[in-house]
Amino acid sequence: MSNIWTNIFKPRQTEEDTILAVLMRIPIFEGLDSKELRQIENILHQREYAKQETIFFQGEPGLGMYIIIQGDVDIISEPEKHQLAELHEGDFFGELSLLDESPRTASAVAKDPSRLLCLFQSDLNDLITRNPGLGVKILVQLARTIGARLRKTNDHVTELKKVYQA
Amino acid sequence: MDKYLNRLIWLICLAAVFYALFHFISTLADLVKILIISSLIAYILDPLAVSLESRGMSRTSATLVIFLSLFLVISAVLVVVLPALTDQIAAIQEGMTPEATAALVSRLDSFLTKKLAFLGVGELNLPEKLQKTIVNAGDWVFSHFLDVVGLLTHLVLIPFIVFFLLKDGRAMKKQFIRYVPNRYFEFSLNLLSKMDSQLGNFLRGQFIDALIVGTLSTFALWLLDVKYFMLIGIFTGLANLIPFLGPVAGVMLAVTVSVVDTGSFVAAWYILAAFAGIKLLDDGLIQPIVVARSVHMHPLLVLLVVIIGGKFFGILGMLLSVPATGFMKVALKESVLIFRRYRMA
Repeated sequence: MSNIWTNIFKPRQTEEDTILAVLMRIPIFEGLDSKELRQIENILHQREYAKQETIFFQGEPGLGMYIIIQGDVDIISEPEKHQLAELHEGDFFGELSLLDESPRTASAVAKDPSRLLCLFQSDLNDLITRNPGLGVKILVQLARTIGARLRKTNDHVTELKKVYQA
Repeated sequence: MDKYLNRLIWLICLAAVFYALFHFISTLADLVKILIISSLIAYILDPLAVSLESRGMSRTSATLVIFLSLFLVISAVLVVVLPALTDQIAAIQEGMTPEATAALVSRLDSFLTKKLAFLGVGELNLPEKLQKTIVNAGDWVFSHFLDVVGLLTHLVLIPFIVFFLLKDGRAMKKQFIRYVPNRYFEFSLNLLSKMDSQLGNFLRGQFIDALIVGTLSTFALWLLDVKYFMLIGIFTGLANLIPFLGPVAGVMLAVTVSVVDTGSFVAAWYILAAFAGIKLLDDGLIQPIVVARSVHMHPLLVLLVVIIGGKFFGILGMLLSVPATGFMKVALKESVLIFRRYRMA
């Protein structure tokens, strides 16, 4: 009997809550309140991929960023099929595509059955027009994330230079 | 040889598909017409909704505010313009008594026979020809405009559909994308987004252009003291949606009314000059500013689509055939462009 009451009053974690919890951990959406996160959630597309299904191919126009809510994704360099990274739940990839439509620099393949969220560039632009305040917050965070990656790349280049010169 | 045979089979299949599509559309003509008009209105109103959203309103509130404002504006316009329009329509009806019409037609008959004698024009028998035309036109008007039930259905259905397209259009698009296979997901999203922005610009441009040309024509005809200036002005604005043919139709109507009314060509020259001026202004100033990206079409294609539009959807089909073809042209162009980029990958 007590189990029934516990079940009734236990706060249920809905699908939406799971998505919001994942979004909160994404650096681009850092500092956004739940109302703003819900606005982001409204423009996200949820997709399901089978094991070994390609999410996008290297060279295709980049149109959006993907967030993993379930499963693992391999980032592969073509044509040698060299694995560049393995991404897990809560990771995101393709964020540069939110800024331009330059071709994808690698392919993304679902390693397991996966559930992903896609933030499409034109939907983000539309959101920025509708809610400029929120748009500025996202763009600032996006610039910071890309800046951090650029710094990391610079460090790698410096290290490689040192190795090459030595 | 095989290559040509394949192409021929392809063409026959394509023609069969188009025929089946047209047959299907003409069967559902009324519903398609309502949906097309509603989508066009929703497209035109969308930037207003976005602008209200950017001021902190929810989409539902924005849609409600737009509908309320539209209701007020239309009511105000009706209060101001309707009496003048009713007077003009009543004037046409009064002037169309059998005796007056017969006298007018005989006057026109003798006028034309006299003026066009150098071209070898003999007896025109206008009264007899007009009698036949009136019978046909009467049937046409009865079947097209006096369908009160149909008109009321449209008046209720169109705002209803526009409301939900405006409020839930984004969610509908998202729902549609859910059913697209993963492989074509990004391609479809890209295509929809490009078509959305291009078509939105095109349709809004056409609408604003028609509004400006209609207002300028009405004003010019009022200055020139042409009878039924408001009706002709509205007609010219709407006809402007059809390139090449529309402006000519507006001028012809205005000139005919003026010649029949005054019995001389003097005012017609002023009307021609005024319409030429408006056309120049439209081509040189209004269109480049308002119509962000015009869809260029060959005059022959315009003529063809206007005839096809008229055949399937009547007057409304003729007016909407060019924007609808523009829609298809943009959709096809964007599909090919995006498809090529994906194939190159």
